[in-house]
Amino acid sequence: MLREKYQSEIDDILSRYPVKRSALIPLLYLAQRDQGYITESAMKEIARLLDLTPPQVYETATFYTMLNLKKVGRFHIQVCKSLMCALVGSDTVLAWIKAKLGIQPGETTGDGLFTLSAVECLAACGTAPMMQINDDYYERLTEEKVDRILADLKTNGTSPLKSGPYMWPEAAQK
Amino acid sequence: MPNSTTDTVRLTIDGHTVTVPKGTLVIEAARRVGVMIPHFCYHPKLKPDANCRMCLVEVEKMPKLQTACSTPVAEGMSVRTASTVVNDAHKSVLEFILANHPLDCPVCDQGGRCDLQDFSHQYTATTSRFVETKRVFQKEYFSPLIETQMNRCVQCLRCVRYCDEVMDVKALAPVGRGTMTEIKHFGPHPLECEFCGGCVQICPVGAITSRLSMYEYRPWMLKRADTVCGYCGDGCQITVQTKNEALVEVNSSLGAGRNNGDLCARGFFGFRAVTHPERLTQPLIRRNGSLVPATWEEALEYVAGQAARIKQAHGGQSFGGLITGRCTNEELYLFQKFMRAVLGTNSIDSSARYGHLNGVQAMRRVQGTHRWAASFEDIVRADVLLLVGTNVTETNPITGLKVKESVKKRGAKLLTIEALEPAIESISNVANLSSQHLGVAPSQFRTAVLGLVKAALELRLLDPDVVQQHPAFVAGVTGATERVSWPAVQAATGIDREAYANAAAALAGSRRLVVLAGQGLLRGRHGYSASVTLLELLLLLGKLDRPGCGFLPLAEENNDQGAVEMGAAAELLPGPVDIADRAARDRLVKLWGQEPPPNGGASLVEMLDRARAGIIKAMFIVGENPVASLPAQVRAGEALRNLDLLVCQELFLTETAALAHVVLPAASSMEKAGTFTNTEGHVQAVRPAIDPLGDSRPDWEVFAALSVLLGMPWDYAESKDVLKEIRSLIPGYGALGPTPIPPKVDDAAVARYLSQGYQEDLAVRYMVDDPVAKIDGTLQLSLVQSLFHSGKLSTRAQGLLQVEGAPALRINPADAARFGVVDHDRVRLSNTRGEMTTSIKIAGRVPEGHAWFPDHFSAAATPLLDCTIDPVTRVPYFRSTTVSMIKVA
Amino acid sequence: MPRHELILLKNMSQPGYTGSLADYEKAGGYQALRRILGHVPPAEVTAIVMKSGLRGRGGAGFPTGVKWGFLPKDYQGPRYLCCNADESEPGTFKDRQLMERDPHQVLEGIVLACYAIGAESAYIYIRGELVLASKILERALGEARHAGYIGKNVLGSGVNVEVWVHRGAGAYICGEETALLESLEGKRGLPRVKPPFPATHGLYNKPTVVNNVETLSNLPHILTRGAEWFAAIGSPPKSTGTRIFCVSGHVKRPGNYEVPMGVTFRELIYEHAGGMRSDKPLKAFIPGGASAPFLTPDHLDVKLDFESVAAAGSMLGSGGVTIMEEGTSMVWAALRLMEFFYHESCGKCSPCREGSSWLVQTMRRIIAKRGRMEDLETLVDLCKNIAGRTVCAFGDAEVAPIMSTLKHWRHEYVELVREAEAANLIRPEPAVRP
Repeated sequence: MLREKYQSEIDDILSRYPVKRSALIPLLYLAQRDQGYITESAMKEIARLLDLTPPQVYETATFYTMLNLKKVGRFHIQVCKSLMCALVGSDTVLAWIKAKLGIQPGETTGDGLFTLSAVECLAACGTAPMMQINDDYYERLTEEKVDRILADLKTNGTSPLKSGPYMWPEAAQK
Repeated sequence: MPNSTTDTVRLTIDGHTVTVPKGTLVIEAARRVGVMIPHFCYHPKLKPDANCRMCLVEVEKMPKLQTACSTPVAEGMSVRTASTVVNDAHKSVLEFILANHPLDCPVCDQGGRCDLQDFSHQYTATTSRFVETKRVFQKEYFSPLIETQMNRCVQCLRCVRYCDEVMDVKALAPVGRGTMTEIKHFGPHPLECEFCGGCVQICPVGAITSRLSMYEYRPWMLKRADTVCGYCGDGCQITVQTKNEALVEVNSSLGAGRNNGDLCARGFFGFRAVTHPERLTQPLIRRNGSLVPATWEEALEYVAGQAARIKQAHGGQSFGGLITGRCTNEELYLFQKFMRAVLGTNSIDSSARYGHLNGVQAMRRVQGTHRWAASFEDIVRADVLLLVGTNVTETNPITGLKVKESVKKRGAKLLTIEALEPAIESISNVANLSSQHLGVAPSQFRTAVLGLVKAALELRLLDPDVVQQHPAFVAGVTGATERVSWPAVQAATGIDREAYANAAAALAGSRRLVVLAGQGLLRGRHGYSASVTLLELLLLLGKLDRPGCGFLPLAEENNDQGAVEMGAAAELLPGPVDIADRAARDRLVKLWGQEPPPNGGASLVEMLDRARAGIIKAMFIVGENPVASLPAQVRAGEALRNLDLLVCQELFLTETAALAHVVLPAASSMEKAGTFTNTEGHVQAVRPAIDPLGDSRPDWEVFAALSVLLGMPWDYAESKDVLKEIRSLIPGYGALGPTPIPPKVDDAAVARYLSQGYQEDLAVRYMVDDPVAKIDGTLQLSLVQSLFHSGKLSTRAQGLLQVEGAPALRINPADAARFGVVDHDRVRLSNTRGEMTTSIKIAGRVPEGHAWFPDHFSAAATPLLDCTIDPVTRVPYFRSTTVSMIKVA
Repeated sequence: MPRHELILLKNMSQPGYTGSLADYEKAGGYQALRRILGHVPPAEVTAIVMKSGLRGRGGAGFPTGVKWGFLPKDYQGPRYLCCNADESEPGTFKDRQLMERDPHQVLEGIVLACYAIGAESAYIYIRGELVLASKILERALGEARHAGYIGKNVLGSGVNVEVWVHRGAGAYICGEETALLESLEGKRGLPRVKPPFPATHGLYNKPTVVNNVETLSNLPHILTRGAEWFAAIGSPPKSTGTRIFCVSGHVKRPGNYEVPMGVTFRELIYEHAGGMRSDKPLKAFIPGGASAPFLTPDHLDVKLDFESVAAAGSMLGSGGVTIMEEGTSMVWAALRLMEFFYHESCGKCSPCREGSSWLVQTMRRIIAKRGRMEDLETLVDLCKNIAGRTVCAFGDAEVAPIMSTLKHWRHEYVELVREAEAANLIRPEPAVRP
């Protein structure tokens, strides 16, 4: 149950909105953080918390692409395939990852480590091609860079190649 | 000519000038001049969503085409609905909608009455340019009652919006997005909801259809009969569709009847009850201890012979008659005439005795009339609503919709005094809409009403006219309430003074105040006196005689109101008027050629007592089942076994009919003509949809035949002849108009009440009832109605049994935890009177400490209940008792 | 080195600027707040903004002060400000930089806007994927609350402003202001039917203003340096101030460039963004995000202001400028964008919902050399039947790539169809999925 585990966080979320239903997406995020995806029982519990029916939670949860109603791998690789990235090689990046991991978009590696998705624009067109893995952006991708990122994630669970605050053109000192 | 009034607007539509109220939508204004603008997502009951884009029209001075369903009219507006541009737009939108449509019309139940078909026929005669792959949704099982075929869906979301805006159920979810949006419930789970059928009815295409009649018909094969639903007092108009004498489906069209096309599960899915295989189709006579088939002649002659013998030997007073409020007015009238004029007894009663009479008698006493002083329209228009003891969603679902419309659409303030917890569940809950919910145990409804009166008096919220003109009344009531302390009220009801004060202030501040009282109050221990006190509250606040205001007791059976008005009660003659009323008796003498027997007739429970004592020797029971309905303590079975003659007219061999000497197969309301009077006093025509099943006959024909056999022949060729006679006696049975005009309260009667009438039981009515002691391990068991059932008919309806097939004891989650039980666990309930075993269903709407058992399966619970009789109205009270509960293996 | 004065990107361009409260204050941050709150009446603030000519930087370019002015004057209940940080228009990535590098500039703008419109609550509806930006904003909010810039009685002025970050969850349509409100209410992000407009019936049916991140970031500067100063920048009278243009695609230095409105595309592409990345010449560019019709090298001297771009047959939109070099297939480019729109169509309106899937499929067929000549007419027809026929502007946007590429590069479509005809592969796909 989310309530027992995250009581104060839930209270904090609820306190931000005069109408309870507004807390729906934040609570769905909480549920996704908890289990890696949004379970049915979490949706039912959230419905109870917000005085909604489960179908009301369900209709919202299925509208948004970032909310996973099915299990995903530990690292969810989302490669941008929109035009701006495609102009500078995102198809190659995607093909590289597919070959590397042996999975198609929508699939998860056998070890449950990686799920691959081809997604639409992630607002990093100036640093294309790019991908998002879980919370982090990885930009100006090359095949070598992708290799390093995947290797880092496998061994350390994180990679120093992830982006910091975006700046381009870069600040004057550089 | 410019419009002089400010609340109307003049515009032209395709050259026709039309004046409509401000705020009217263009699509509605067009309809007034006979212009039908094509649409899918628009529906008069729903807020505009403008998603289908089908109703695009040209509006002068607007650069883009506008959706007629979301554009309000404006003064001087000029609209074109059939220009080339508009026609092209309609065509193109249809082309889009049809692109992914499977065009499976040959196997679609909607085929022939499908908006998409009709508009396609009108606009696109060409072949589609769509040569791509059509979208295909995985077929998923949706519900045993409702079929979804999402490939046909036009995503207009009417179903979703209806389920939310009108029903307040919110069981349907548009899932996914874009072209892959589909209507589902919750994940892969089958639908759980009120099963009102609204989504089936409102779907413009064949995406949502009823499974009860799936693939059984083409719409044009169906014969239609507009009649009235028999499942509750709301009196919804239904259209029964049949194919070769088989019931195919029931629906109700927009604008139809008092329900305006809305139905509940019972109305929409309950129709198959009448064709249940166990229906009685031939008369039965008891021979050598068992009931065996007989001909009508044999059966009627036997009955007439026995009746004549008993009357000869013991006189008219040895007869008793009990009839259900599910019969038509004509039957109810003839029944009491038969009992009174042919057999010579006043021992007559009907199902209205179970509670409805409490409300009617209270109205007769205080306002001098026996009908609501307001209508369904007044519920919708009310600015403040008070609901007392009525889980209206489950008992009178369509009245419930009026309440929902009033609150949700029109912003009325709702106050509830209910033994019902606000809870979000698969069915809607009126307490969720309440702005002030006073959660009170059923035993304390009267005390809660007292609290309101007391607060109103203390806060001087009274109508100045009443204060001025009837100081003695005000002083009397004030004195009575002053004898009661707030701590006592709070201890009994759990509600503090401030809450009563707030509620009373809201009631007093209203312009149009409607008070609805339901089974919880009317069938409660003090149903009558609480009703009187509620009326008194309206008097004090000056609302009783105000237009749009009123006290509205809700009838349980579809014709309980008619039963009272037809005089199917020991103390009432047709009208209803008092049995002792000289003028009325004289009228009947003239009409019947004979005077009704004098007062002293027995009511329901008294009849059984007299039967047990051997005073009553013969009973005619029409459609009632006292053996299963009354507590075991009343010993109804023993009483009936003691009779020399028990005649039952029935659809099914009930526990009571099984004891009869003769059982006569009755026709259901789907098979006969007549009239029903609904809870608001609206008289509506009942029309046969199918022929009577087997040898069954309408009940009135039985009474007429017996009158002949008993030597006092009546001359009624059809039920209309009976109605003619009723018309000559009872006002309000003239033309069956579409909208009833509620009778005004009788000012003289009100004046009488204010000067004297209130006094007789004042002290008794303003007493605080002792709170039921809470003992660990016990629960307060109540019989309540379930949305999906209303008695012996519904429990034989295939559709309803699929939703709720067996009784279950509903308890609050906290109690479930306390008793360590979960859904489906078996439990034994017991008290000093008896015990029963049942299974558990956890429901948040049941208040803590309470347990609800469905009334329609109540036979199992009768051993636990005790029975008290209201001294004034003789209504038996047995709906609640204390039980202990243990889990059993 | 920029030739123009930077306004929005100025702080972050300073060496060592971290975007912390201390840095922001050192750079003169929150001075506008001190000067305005409790000293300049809200109506006057609105008047200043109106006079500055500031127009919305989200895409539609509606004058900000006018938008504020639509709020009911006498309404007593709560009002809301929503900061539209749902940056999702393909080709646009400026708000991300503003939030990640100078979050306090955004927050100061938000508090100023709240003050002007009388809102005590503001929600920053930030695109769900921008996790880092939302974390940075949260941190900045903490600092600002602690320093008394946000919260009860801001700087002792008696003004209460609370600001919360609300993350979206992946839906382009939520950048549309009414869809944003629906989403913020916990519902599916479907645009609402207008009227009524958010100004009267917005968040929770209360008067609401929705302003873009960049729009709000301009406020501290306008309210510090004056309407006249701002109105003189750019291409007055209708396109004032600077804009951050996001340059992507086949250029040497893709990135965000803040320039006064009215510079030419030529200057932006060849001077700021360093010109084409290789020796291939420019073939096409999108001037204002995916929703803006493609332009050709003939349009290089068009000025980057609202009116000029509109006159050239496109729109300035969100400021996302995408450059395509010779050799890029325009049919392919249009399909890529069409796939985006198909994926993001919310599904509310029939023409957009059904049309987007139809267009995508037909485009894929053409690319796969299974097109027919009549498909081109059908494409045009479908586009015309979608545009202007939907609740929101998405319908107009989604047809822009196909319509404009068909207009300027029809021969590329024709060529593909010819190849299909030559290969005798013109049969449509079977009606069921293989």
